[in-house]
Amino acid sequence: MSTLTAPAQNSPASQKLDQRAGKYLTFGLGNEEFAIQVLRVREIMGIQEITAVPQTPSYVKGVLNLRGKVIPVVDLRLKFGLPELEYTQRTCIIVAQIESQNGKLMIGIIVDGVSEVLTLQAADIEDTPDFGNGVETPYILGMAKIKNKVKILLDISMVFTAQEVQRLGGVTG
Amino acid sequence: MPTDSEKIETIGAATPENSASLNPLAADPELLSDFILESREHLTSIELQLLTLDQEPANAEAIHAIFRGFHTIKGMAGFLDQDAVRDVAHEVETILDLARNGQLTITSAVIDRILESKDYLTRCMAELETSLQTGTLVSPAANVALLDAIRSLSAPGGSGEKVGFQPAAPVTPERASPAALPVETVSAPIEPVVLATQGLAELAREVAQVPAEAPAESSGTPESVDGPKAGAARTTGARSIKVDTTKLDYLVDMVGEMVIAQSLVRHDPDLAIGVKPRLGRNLSQLARITDEVQRTAMSMRMIPVGQLFQKTSRLVRDLSRKAGKQVDLELFGEDTELDRNIVEDLADPLMHMVRNSVDHGIETPEERTRNGKPATARVTLKAGHQAGQIVIQVSDDGRGLNQAKILRKAIEKGLISADAQLSETEIFNLIFHPGFSTADQITDVSGRGVGMDVVRKSVQKLRGRIDVTSRPGEGTTFLLKLPLTLAIIDGLVVGVGGQRYIVPIFAVREMLKPPEDSISTLQGRQEMAMVRGSLLPLVRLHQRFGVKPRFENPWDSLLIVSESGGRHFCLMVDELIGKQEVVIKSLGETMANIAGVAGGAILGDGRVGLILDLEGLFGASNSE
Repeated sequence: MSTLTAPAQNSPASQKLDQRAGKYLTFGLGNEEFAIQVLRVREIMGIQEITAVPQTPSYVKGVLNLRGKVIPVVDLRLKFGLPELEYTQRTCIIVAQIESQNGKLMIGIIVDGVSEVLTLQAADIEDTPDFGNGVETPYILGMAKIKNKVKILLDISMVFTAQEVQRLGGVTG
Repeated sequence: MPTDSEKIETIGAATPENSASLNPLAADPELLSDFILESREHLTSIELQLLTLDQEPANAEAIHAIFRGFHTIKGMAGFLDQDAVRDVAHEVETILDLARNGQLTITSAVIDRILESKDYLTRCMAELETSLQTGTLVSPAANVALLDAIRSLSAPGGSGEKVGFQPAAPVTPERASPAALPVETVSAPIEPVVLATQGLAELAREVAQVPAEAPAESSGTPESVDGPKAGAARTTGARSIKVDTTKLDYLVDMVGEMVIAQSLVRHDPDLAIGVKPRLGRNLSQLARITDEVQRTAMSMRMIPVGQLFQKTSRLVRDLSRKAGKQVDLELFGEDTELDRNIVEDLADPLMHMVRNSVDHGIETPEERTRNGKPATARVTLKAGHQAGQIVIQVSDDGRGLNQAKILRKAIEKGLISADAQLSETEIFNLIFHPGFSTADQITDVSGRGVGMDVVRKSVQKLRGRIDVTSRPGEGTTFLLKLPLTLAIIDGLVVGVGGQRYIVPIFAVREMLKPPEDSISTLQGRQEMAMVRGSLLPLVRLHQRFGVKPRFENPWDSLLIVSESGGRHFCLMVDELIGKQEVVIKSLGETMANIAGVAGGAILGDGRVGLILDLEGLFGASNSE
């Protein structure tokens, strides 16, 4: 078991950066560009009919049929407190796999439109700046500067934190 | 891993005679779990055959079948160093061999002993399974008492000199190859896997030959040795294969999707305009095939109810012997097929009912003869289809329910008032009350009625119902009515605004468009509708779910008179769209607890429709 004996030479900081490097899917939301790890993305589909589910928060748009599986769909605009926008041809649903307390969970995320897949090196990624005022941003992995534009790297599992995921179903009026 | 083989070599050098720790396959979790699975199957069929043998002690076919089962278990256990299992299986096999050769008569004492061994082996399997799960492999300890008990069976028979008193680990021809295995393992640590596979394959071939009693084939190298599983498959025969149930469920899901996709294509408006005959023909051919595929996929989840019934035969045998009663169990319609999940959930209630029948329904032989009945009582289990439902009937010809007794108990317990006028059915239904029992009346074990509330609960969970009929002195009959499958429900698709919902049809009593004057309000808030002379509360679905409806006035919309928990109410929706059989899907853990929603279903156009949970809907509206 020689692999195990290899000494860990990376410092914690560089390890963290290493973990963040990789392929990202970027998408637009309002004037901002976001990115999530490609490994989390299962598929991308155009907007389609969503069945509303009563007694859920407003950002939960309902459920849809993903080849026989019923999965919840959330509108990331509403989740981030952005004004609601009419869905267009460009509107997409990103089907992502997120981690919850009870294991993996598929979820549809409505975004304004997907752009491209980027390969980000550790050097491209910066830590989230401190906004002061105790603004916590645990769901932001970091920022990436590509061609003078900032992409916000999202930890999609944290966007719908354990509590939040529970609340999708816990709200019973 | 070089370290492993090194370890084997060193241990082997130190204690060459200790072969148990040398067999690397003995600790292979996959092989072990295969062994457990397969042994369990054999044990189940062994029990079944034993009960047959109990009825007809001369049934040579049954003896052979039991022998084969124990022989296979013995072989596998020896191969995996499960000595305790192997020894018991071996001793039983010896007894059976004597019986086969006519040197031992099968008595019920023999059957008892073999049943006991079977139970012991079942326990061993459970032990092995737990030890597999915990990761520390502990082989079950040897059961010396049982071994002696089995050996003593062959002793008085006298003619056991041939095989009766073999040592616990004899080298019979059948066992030769696996027993020789560990030795070779020591000398050649690299080869054990190949050798072992051969060993099992040979073993399997021998087992397959046992029924034919053919001489052992010259053991050349088997041409195709795919691994231990190949041997195992050959022993059980190729008539069925094991499939992970999640795969099966997924397949059924996918087939459902295919059916929907197929109907989408078929009803595409672009295609409808000018369908060429050939395309039309091909499309209907596709429709037929998808239909057939769906039926087949659905049927794969169905298993015959017979397996469930067979479990009860053992129970009846044990109970009747303990209580000193003579009971014949009769089974009908064992081929009736039921959804696997229903069969699983039905096991407990069925046991309860059969136990009740034997324990309390059936009288002692003396009492029966005194009352002019045959001394041997009869418990009947029947299964069959009736109007799209499965009907299971449990009946006995015992003393029947004692109405007066039930009434008195119910009054004592305050379930009913002393002057209540109850119909016969209502009286019988009292036994389903939690904790209701007429224990003093009958045996020490329990009173009729204990556990009956559990029975009713399980049946209701399966969306079924249970009825009881009884005649004093003639017996009691329980009638269970269950849906064919839990996966599909018949539903009414209703529309409210732009949304569509599915109302389970079993809860719907009627539908109507109410006249304007039949709607009244209570304190200006609660609405009620007069339906056939009774006032029923009105629940506006659009209000409950926050949907904008097309009609605000109840007399423009449609009222669905529904029943939930014995109470009726009117559900107000915009319109009825149709009736459809839908596959129930969970909305996932995130949306599991929404009041009024039981799940989702994929409708004909591929969209998700919510299945309403009427109890939740009505309950929530009541608490408002």
